[in-house]
Amino acid sequence: MTEPLFVFHGIQKTFAKVEILRKVDLSLYPEKCTLITGKNGSGKTTLLKIIAGLEKPEKAEIEFSGKSHSWEKIMPDICKKIIYLHQQAFLFSSTVESNIAYGLRFNTMTREQRRKSVKKALELSGLTEFAKKQANTLSGGVQQRVAFARACILKPKVLLLDEPVSNMDRQSREHACHLMQFLKSTGTSIVITSHVPQYFDGLADMHFELVNGKLIET
Amino acid sequence: MEGLLSTIQQALQLLLYGDAELWAIVLLSFSVSIKAISLTTPLALLLAFSLAYGNYPGVRIILAFFNSLLSVPTVVVGLFLYVLLTRQGPFGDLRLLFTQSAMVIGQMILCFPILVALGYAAIQAADVRVWETARTLGAPRWYIILTIFYEVRYGLLAAVLTGFGRVISEVGISMMVGGNIMGYTRNITTAIALETSKGEFAQGIALGFVLLSLAFLLTALLSYIQSKNGGNT
Repeated sequence: MTEPLFVFHGIQKTFAKVEILRKVDLSLYPEKCTLITGKNGSGKTTLLKIIAGLEKPEKAEIEFSGKSHSWEKIMPDICKKIIYLHQQAFLFSSTVESNIAYGLRFNTMTREQRRKSVKKALELSGLTEFAKKQANTLSGGVQQRVAFARACILKPKVLLLDEPVSNMDRQSREHACHLMQFLKSTGTSIVITSHVPQYFDGLADMHFELVNGKLIET
Repeated sequence: MEGLLSTIQQALQLLLYGDAELWAIVLLSFSVSIKAISLTTPLALLLAFSLAYGNYPGVRIILAFFNSLLSVPTVVVGLFLYVLLTRQGPFGDLRLLFTQSAMVIGQMILCFPILVALGYAAIQAADVRVWETARTLGAPRWYIILTIFYEVRYGLLAAVLTGFGRVISEVGISMMVGGNIMGYTRNITTAIALETSKGEFAQGIALGFVLLSLAFLLTALLSYIQSKNGGNT
């Protein structure tokens, strides 16, 4: 196996005196998909948010570029390479294309390059017909696809997907899995949490179950 | 009854035939209040944001303080400011008493707690995923704040309109630190008070019409904003 992009060591998190994550270790590899399953409230979302830098752990170390760093120190640098997608996609109250272009505003692209990039992402996600529509008026499944396209366009090193296909019908689910496969082939490490591991049979390279705050390889 | 009808008729004539003195008073009122609300809004909304998203001790106490200031009488603010700005006061050297600047400062003090309290309520109601999504998509901190403000824009606009309604209709501050000087610090409310005390009701009623129209307009706007806000949630 190739060198991991990031290795998370000893992630600990407590909520209301209950230890949700107990020294969890997780390695994220390029071009690999990691599937995490577990019961409701087992800490899957918390784990993803800690990896994305959106939630602070009590303790965690991150191995990156051959060196070990504390979560607090390295997270501001590496969180730009990691994108987290909510279980229920959140779209800003603007059009679909404006949503997809959101993250591109913070890099050095010209307006024309941005426009082309958005157009390509819309085509790839089958969302061209929705481009000018208000994003929050669309169905849950389409919103999830918009959120996915908005993340993919930024070419993240790691994409964290929290129950990504839970709101989708069969056709949208297959489309999303196809996009995930494509993204994986471009070098992105994908981490998925799901109640239904069967949906990701052809996609997941590693499968862990989060039980009592520990990740167990299945 | 006849006297009242004739006074209202005179008031309407003053308004419709563009009485210069009357419209100068209206203009001054709007100028002072718009300056006050424009200068206060950015700072108040940033404080509201920091109270909603900042994880520091004392947030509840600060909020309780601003909530308690919501109904502060305008004459108390006027008196407080008068004491500060009077010749013998700590800021007497600035020679601000009986100027439009003093009225602006007073109105800023008046609307600041309204903007903080209502702004906080609007920002706090924002979906936590706005912040998380903007952050994970690489937005810098200032852009995340703008994104959140945009998502709760109807609530913030309602806060600003409420603040504006309060400052344009206040009389205590303008009277005490403005001094009701004709052509310089006389605004709608102080002019109404003066004209009424002189028994000249026509101009007072005409200015009252302006304030009432503004109140109706603000209420209609707030209702519209609330309906838009409800539609989005």
